[in-house]
Amino acid sequence: MSDHTLDKLPGGFKGMATDMGSDQTVFKGVNWGKAMMWIFLLSDTFIFSCFLISYMKVRASVVDEWPYPSEVFALNFMGVPVPLLLIAIMTFVLITSSGTMALAVKYGYERNRKMCGWLILATALGGLTFVGMQAFEWSKLIHEGVRPWTNPFGAPQFGSFFFMITGFHGTHVSIGVIFLFIFARKTFRGDFDAGKRGFFTSMKSDYVAIEIMGLYWHFVDLVWVFIFAFFYLW
Amino acid sequence: MSDDFYKNKTSIEAQPSRTISDSSGSVSDIDYVKPAEVSDQDLYHGHSFITKWIFCQDAKVIGIQYTLTAVFTGIIGLILSWLMRLQLGFPELVPFITAEHYYQFVTMHGMIMVVYFLTALFLGGFGNYLIPLMTGARDMVFPYVNMVSYWMFFVAVLVLMASFFVPGGPTGSGWTLYPPQAILEGTPGSGAGIILMLVSLALFVVGFTMGGLNYVITILQARTRGMTLMRMPLTVWGIFTATVLALLAFPALFVSVIMMSLDRILGTSFFMPTILQAGEILEYGGGSPVLFQHLFWFFGHPEVYIVALPAFGIVSDLISVHSRKNIFGYRMMVWAIVAIGALSFFVWAHHMYVSGMNPWFGFFFATTTLIIAVPTALKVYNWVLTLWRGNIRMTTVMLFCLGFIVTFVNGGITGIFLGNVIVDIPLSDTYFVVAHFHMVMGIAPLMVIFGAIYHWFPLVTGRLLDEKLGKWHFWFSFLGAYSIYFPMHYLGFIGVPRRYFEMYDSPYITSAVGLNQSITIAALIVGLSQFIFIFNIVKSLRMGKPAGKNPWKANSLEWQTPNVPPAHGNWGDKLPVVYRWPYDFNVPGAKEDYIPQTTPPSEVLEAKVEKT
Amino acid sequence: MSETQKAQTTTHKIGIYLWIWGLLFVLSFCSYMVDWFQFQGLVRWTLIVTFMLLKAGLIMAFFMHLFWERYALVNVLLWPMTAIACFITLMAAEGKYTVFTRLFYFFVGG
Repeated sequence: MSDHTLDKLPGGFKGMATDMGSDQTVFKGVNWGKAMMWIFLLSDTFIFSCFLISYMKVRASVVDEWPYPSEVFALNFMGVPVPLLLIAIMTFVLITSSGTMALAVKYGYERNRKMCGWLILATALGGLTFVGMQAFEWSKLIHEGVRPWTNPFGAPQFGSFFFMITGFHGTHVSIGVIFLFIFARKTFRGDFDAGKRGFFTSMKSDYVAIEIMGLYWHFVDLVWVFIFAFFYLW
Repeated sequence: MSDDFYKNKTSIEAQPSRTISDSSGSVSDIDYVKPAEVSDQDLYHGHSFITKWIFCQDAKVIGIQYTLTAVFTGIIGLILSWLMRLQLGFPELVPFITAEHYYQFVTMHGMIMVVYFLTALFLGGFGNYLIPLMTGARDMVFPYVNMVSYWMFFVAVLVLMASFFVPGGPTGSGWTLYPPQAILEGTPGSGAGIILMLVSLALFVVGFTMGGLNYVITILQARTRGMTLMRMPLTVWGIFTATVLALLAFPALFVSVIMMSLDRILGTSFFMPTILQAGEILEYGGGSPVLFQHLFWFFGHPEVYIVALPAFGIVSDLISVHSRKNIFGYRMMVWAIVAIGALSFFVWAHHMYVSGMNPWFGFFFATTTLIIAVPTALKVYNWVLTLWRGNIRMTTVMLFCLGFIVTFVNGGITGIFLGNVIVDIPLSDTYFVVAHFHMVMGIAPLMVIFGAIYHWFPLVTGRLLDEKLGKWHFWFSFLGAYSIYFPMHYLGFIGVPRRYFEMYDSPYITSAVGLNQSITIAALIVGLSQFIFIFNIVKSLRMGKPAGKNPWKANSLEWQTPNVPPAHGNWGDKLPVVYRWPYDFNVPGAKEDYIPQTTPPSEVLEAKVEKT
Repeated sequence: MSETQKAQTTTHKIGIYLWIWGLLFVLSFCSYMVDWFQFQGLVRWTLIVTFMLLKAGLIMAFFMHLFWERYALVNVLLWPMTAIACFITLMAAEGKYTVFTRLFYFFVGG
């Protein structure tokens, strides 16, 4: 959502130098909570990067054979094993939920309570579906003998990294879903319009909170893009 | 300074306080400052005892909570060091200290001092108290999360202390927690001890992320009118850069802690290779211990700069105020802090030259390590040049600053020895390394902490600490610390290994017995002399000389609050407006030898200030 | 939390979000095809990484709004990735070195 007062400031590199040299704020027009969320996401990016880098290093180092993800994660559709089918559906669901979230932010700023609330709910349901499918995948693999400490397909680290990385990602999605349900309720009740004070923080509610939530949700989608590429496809 | 300077003939004129992006005219209005971009902060006000003193959201209270908890933890670390030194110097006196105990002391002393004492004190203690005050904010940007961050730290400390009481005791793997040994039976505390350590670290990281977000965003987004980044005191720059480092480096620690916990609890093999334990083949296999080292030091090296950079920033301000002179080369000092911070992510494996990692890495990391020495040395030159021809007040604060410079130069030079791969090979894992990091990370930042407490005690309590007691404290601490660590370099040179429980009978180590004894005696004396400091604090809290407002005649904003100590909300009804940098000391033409940041140009028209 | 002044914010049209969603769908489909057609070696690696970076870029630029944010924010977020890039490069080399030492000592002996 673009702020017209910012259009008067110079853009590009010169704008960055001006912003950094000015008083009061470096990120012009950026709400404090939004700035905090961005820096938190930067830190969280480092966490997932470290997980994926460790995965890369260990996978490169093992002498045992590494299982073929397209075989391990194939789903039986009408008797035919379709490689990565479940993962493809999960990717579709998460990206769609990202889309509904972006629309929710838009309608939030337009103060269209109903559209905003329904889109937040749609996002939450998308997230819930994703977690459900992830849980199904876990149970299927556990049934086939994959454990964090060993698996019948190849190097034991395959199971370790699978459960750890998807576990962390799934936890992030679950936390997001919980907050989305809370925000959907707040939207429908009109808390953002009224600036109602939060239960824990006692701070006034505002529609920018939905944009902040949106950033977190898109981050969760972003991490999935990387996990999908490096773990399932590679 | 040229003759013209002394005859007040420089061409520097008083500058109007315009910020760069201001486009409106009005040449005659030299006091113009841009209007506020955001409305005044809507603060939470606690009304009960619990919301005012326990679960308090005021950053000043949180800062004191962090300080007290960190110092308490640090005292435990200090006692552990006495036990270690007793074992090394006079093992007959302490027969109850077994080898297992010794390794546990070594581990807990290291982890406590580096993480739970120094990091918590600099970022949580000084950061929380000083950042809002020095930037002109009323509080941190998210006080609720700030409050939660302290209690996370508190719980992390409790969990860490709990590891002393579990079966097997705390972990004895060294503060570096290297696998595979850390989770195998030969190492003390490989049961519950290591698990509690890992849980405590994870909690610490979560808490410090919450706090760190507050510090960073308050500095970037909540400064008062007129406060540009280049008008912030170096204290804020040091703590800011350290916080950025913390936010980016702690993830690597968090990841390594998670993976080691899984290796221990679930039997995964992230770090565990095929291995025998007391002759029995374990179920592990395929993992990579050196990966843990890379992850740990990717965190660990920025961590030591997280400890050092706030010290650099604070000491710059202390030197400046107590020598009545602007910090020499402020702009370059800022760039040096930022450069050191950025480079610190590219030097980590200089802790791993002898680990068996890819041998080509030594070239890369030795190069980057020597490069990072350049901005660090630049800062040392600038501190010295600030003192040069300054109006130096030999207060206790200034003595500690001088002590910092001396010990930091010493420690920094030995760092150059260790940064070179070939020289590091015989010195690695000897007492040379122990002497190096204690000088540069223990003594030097500790000198700054002491100086900072003597300096800001009048602000926090309204009373001055006793100067005579302070001087005794300084001389005991400084000379004592030198007697401990200077001879230790020699021990390292002759090859005495670190993390050894006993000094054995080999000829070269027998020659070091006397040295170990003298170091132990010095350590005990220095440790005991800290009671002078504690006595000074307790006495001055009740009977110290009332300080009044701004007793050191400093320029920075924290001294300009309407109340001393500052009240909730810091500034009363009106937020301060800033017109200059905090280093306008002894400006030619000015009436006094200092010009606070809130003084508009119209009040000091004859003063020939620099454009800042 | 709502410390910015009440600015007149304009929002974007729905169309742009649908376009980006569609592009993401196409790129995901292409990624999936890499596995379906069983590309191997350098081609597989390059295609996977390219599609991944394109998707990541689209999400960051349009869904997370970075395309319209000021340059200062974008730079503050992207420059720390150089530390990650350094870590990736070095750990790739370390992985290769580890497996080399294992193969050497397990099979050649030492």
